[in-house]
Formats: sequence, structure tokens, C-alpha cells
Amino acid sequence: MSILVRRSNLIVPITNSHFLQGAWRHNADAVTLDLEDSVVDYRKEEARTIVKDAIRMAARGASEVFVRINKTYAQADIEASVWLGLAGIVLPRVESPEEVQEASQIIGRMEGSRGLEKGSVQLVLLLESARAVWKIREIIQADPRVTQVALDESDLAGSLGITPLPDQDPFVYARGRLVVEAIAAGVQPVGVTHPMGTQPRFPSSGEMLQIATDSKNLGFRGILCPHPSWVEPVNTALTPTQSQVDYYTQVRDIFAQAIAAGTAAVPFHGRMIDVPVDEWAKDVLAMAAACKTRDDQKREALLLAGEADPRPDS
Amino acid sequence: MPQQGGNRKVRRSGLTMPVVTPRFVDNAWRRGCDFINLDLEDSVPQNLKGYARGLIKDAIPNVTKGGAEAFTRINHDLVESDLEAIIWPGLSKVNYPKAEYGWEIEKLDRIITRLERERGIRPGTVEIGANIETAIGVANAYQIGSASPRVREFGGATGYDMSRDLGVEMFVGFDQFVYGKGETELAARALNHEVHTAPFTANTTGSVSDPDRAYQEAEAARKCGFRVGGGLHPNVVDPQNRGFTPTEEEATDAVNLLEQYRELVDSGESWSDVNGLVIDQHEAARAQDLLDWRQLCQERDQEKAQAVARVGEEPA
Repeated sequence: MSILVRRSNLIVPITNSHFLQGAWRHNADAVTLDLEDSVVDYRKEEARTIVKDAIRMAARGASEVFVRINKTYAQADIEASVWLGLAGIVLPRVESPEEVQEASQIIGRMEGSRGLEKGSVQLVLLLESARAVWKIREIIQADPRVTQVALDESDLAGSLGITPLPDQDPFVYARGRLVVEAIAAGVQPVGVTHPMGTQPRFPSSGEMLQIATDSKNLGFRGILCPHPSWVEPVNTALTPTQSQVDYYTQVRDIFAQAIAAGTAAVPFHGRMIDVPVDEWAKDVLAMAAACKTRDDQKREALLLAGEADPRPDS
Repeated sequence: MPQQGGNRKVRRSGLTMPVVTPRFVDNAWRRGCDFINLDLEDSVPQNLKGYARGLIKDAIPNVTKGGAEAFTRINHDLVESDLEAIIWPGLSKVNYPKAEYGWEIEKLDRIITRLERERGIRPGTVEIGANIETAIGVANAYQIGSASPRVREFGGATGYDMSRDLGVEMFVGFDQFVYGKGETELAARALNHEVHTAPFTANTTGSVSDPDRAYQEAEAARKCGFRVGGGLHPNVVDPQNRGFTPTEEEATDAVNLLEQYRELVDSGESWSDVNGLVIDQHEAARAQDLLDWRQLCQERDQEKAQAVARVGEEPA
């Protein structure tokens, strides 16, 4: 089974032409063109007319392209967004399985009329209320288009009347529930550790790397990035490091030797290596290979576009 | 308050070992464990599964002669053949890994029930340990825990399998499993099961043989209301036995508190504040539970000492 590598998803206000034109250069695995919170009401219609060209523009660096729609204008926004090159729709403020199914049906109709492969457009769900967190299982399982699910912690804090403090994480439970329920349903959980979810800001690259590493170690497979400065540390954190690759290659060798010697449990640097450790080693090595493939795709796209590759060889 | 009642088991320490490694199995009775978990699963290579099954019947009396209970961990995907090979007199529990649905437990229950009948084992003797090791297992915790009266102890939601399912590295220094542990504990408490879990203590080494860490973790677990231990290395057995047993000093404090509570009740009051500590019916119940548990631990230690004496060999 192929591994979905969508470590960074850069959110770009579609009506800001400067951000839009530069979006493809940031090495994000995905770019989300925003029709929702970053577009003022009176420009919603204008924003819809931009989407078709914007998809092509944002995809130049081989990022997947998504569009975040407005829940209120779901039909008009989806109709304006489903064009060749669209990877999926980001559906905000979801509170019921019916909303997911309704969006999926509209997408299905548009796929048919615009010559897209049936079922190819994915859904990324944003949960932003207590009701959504409570009903998460039904919501995630509502439609096979759903590949990722995320909490919008800022809006969740707003809807619960919480003024977040940097030292007090209000969403340990919600985040844990999201990770477990998403993985149980075979959907990728997307998110970031406190306080970045409730108070996104622009930390140093090193700080962001640590935050993204912690997020990965909570089970998140991707992070929505409100600013391009997040993208590289997020990509790095969610890619197995060379030392992990070396370590788990060694683990696999040692385990294979143990099996040949008639045991499936062998001590290694004070730890016990057995089947699940070997299985995890396989997962890490497979993830490393999948990330490399993805990075190569993006590098080639940049070269094709005539851009110098800003990244060091990996 | 933890599980109550006359059938409460003392399972502070236990070693999980591959049944195919004779030096582990033959020395297991000497280790002072409350239980031994004979493994057919992760520590046994695929090509030795059949051979391993055939060893369990003789291993049960071997590992229990020092007074430990015998458990067997079976393979998630080999339930029928594993159970046929392991349900023999002397086995206390079947550990079922990666439990995800109630129907899996019901199936185990049916097979165990038949085998108990066929093999002259008192009906209901063999427990099922439903190990929660995946996100699906956490999501269905209550359903799993309530699927059979043989499930009397419950928990998990941590460890290598869980980490793999969540896609996370272990030993990163913060609590990655807080939600899963919370959900399984809630389910277990609601079902009046003993809870098999532990509070978070930072561990970035992943060592399985550190006795100091084992003691600290066991003591912290006991103080959070958990009573079940277990590990992989003989070094951790004694620290777990000690860490899960209330100390002499704690017992003295509990006796004093009960005395003060009795005086309080005699004077017609329901609570008091002594040196900043509240004394009320809840604290009295907690003190009584500590004394009851200590008593059970002492009885268990005595049972094991007597069993070892019957063997007539030095335990170590």
C-alpha cells in the first residue's frame, strides 16, 4: 500500500496575489487555497473566479492543491473549485456526517461534469466545535473521500469560550481523541501541539522543528501551516532522520540474526527488540523512502520550472 | 477506588518470556514473580509457533512451582490452534494481544469454555487478558472489556504495538498515550475491572532492566490506584513487588487515620482537619483499602515462600 506523504499543508489566502504567486516555491507537500477565513465576505465571489488558475499556479512545485471552502457557501465554492489538478476540498466547521456526505455528492457531480476521475477528489475535514469532537467517529467514517482530519484549535477555543494560555493546554483530550479515532478509521490525523494550535505564530526554525517533532510523536501525520516559515521545519520533523534510518536498519539486521538463531526477542542497547519493533523499523524505513520519493518529485518540478533547487541534497 | 472483593488477585510483578527459551522457562519459578507470562506471540519466531505451542502444557507446572500464576500470551491471528494447545489445568489467564472488537473476546470465551469442560477445569477459571494495543482497540475499549466475564483486568494503550499503530517513536519524554490510557481506564473502572496501566514517568532510555526505574514506576502506579505490574527482565521483579506493596510507614499512617476517623464518628462529626489533612469517610476508605491490599500482598508473599520451600531448592 502506498504511503500518503502530506507533511506540510501551506494555507494561502487566495485573494492575496503576492502570497498566491509565491506559494509553489515553498516546498510544501500541499497548498490549500483559502476561500474561507482569509477572504472578506464581499470578495468571496471574486475569489471563486480565481480558483481555476490558482490551482495550476500552486501546483507548479508539485504540491498537491486543496481548496478550503466556506461551509455556508459549500455548493458554490465546490463548483468553483473542482477542476483538473485539484487534490481535494478542505471542509471546515464540520459537525455531522450528513455535511460530509452532502459535500461528497456535490464533488461527485462536478467530477463527472469536468472530466475528473470519479472519487479522485479528497476531503480534509476540520473539526472546530465540541459537537464535532464528540461525533468524530461518525463524521470521519461518513465518506471514503476523507483522507485527513484536523482540529481547528483556534475556532474550537472560541466556540468553547476559552482564552488559551501558553502554559495550559486545553485540548489534550480533543487532540488525543482525534488521533486515536482517525487512525482507527484509517484516516490521517493532522495537527500541532500546544500552543501552536490555539495561538499560531512564527517561531524560530529550531523551535518549530521541536514543535513539529512533538506533534509527530503524538501521532499527527501532517501539519497545516499558516505561514511559509513553518514548511521546512515541518517537512524535516515529519521525515525520518538519517540517524533513525541507520538505527532501524541495524535493528532489522539484528532481529534477522535473532530469528535465524531461533528467537524473536533480542536485547539491543538495553532495549528489547521483538516483532513489533521490527515492524516499526520497517514502517520507518518505508516512510523514509516515501518521503524521499515525494521530495524528489518536488525537486524535479522546481527544476522543470527553471528554478534553482533551494534545498540541499537529501 | 480500585476493584474490590474477595477474588482480588495480587499481580504486582511478572515476566513475559518466550516459551521456546528453556533457560528462561526453567528458571522462571526462582524469580519471585506473582505471575509468569509464557509467550507464543512476539518473542517466538514464525517458524517455531507450532513447536512453541507444544511446550506450554509442561511449562505451566514448571513455572508455577514457585507460587507464580501462569499466563500465556497467544497470537492474535492463531486463536484456535493456540487455545487448543494451552488451556490446561494450572493456567490462570490467556493474554490476547491487539484486542480490537468485542466479538473477538466472545469467540475466545466460547473456545475456552469448551476446553475447560473437556479438560476438567472449573468453569470460568481461565481469565482473558484483553490487551489494548491499537487505536481501534482504544476506540472500542468498553465493548471489549464488557464482552466476557472472563475479562477481569484491563488496560494497555501503550507500548511498541500501540506506538507503531499511532506512528510514533517511543521514549520521547512526554506522555503520548494519555488519551488511550484515559479511555481504557474509564472503561475498566466502569466495569469494575482491575486496571492495567501506569502514570506517565519520563523515560528516554527504553531500558527494560533498570531496577530503580521499575521501583519508582511501580510505587507511582500504586499511588494512582493501579496494582498490576509486569516486565521482561528479572531485575525488575523485586522492585515491582516492593513498589506495589504499601510500606510499613504507610500502613502505620493508615491505622492512625482509621483510629482518628473512628474517634471523629464517635464524637458525632463526619470530617476533620488534622495538620492540614482532611479526615473523612473517603480518606478512611482509602486507608482501609491500603491495609487490605498490604495484607493481600503479604499473604501472596507467604504463598510464594511456601511454594519455593516445597520445591526444596534454592530459588536463586
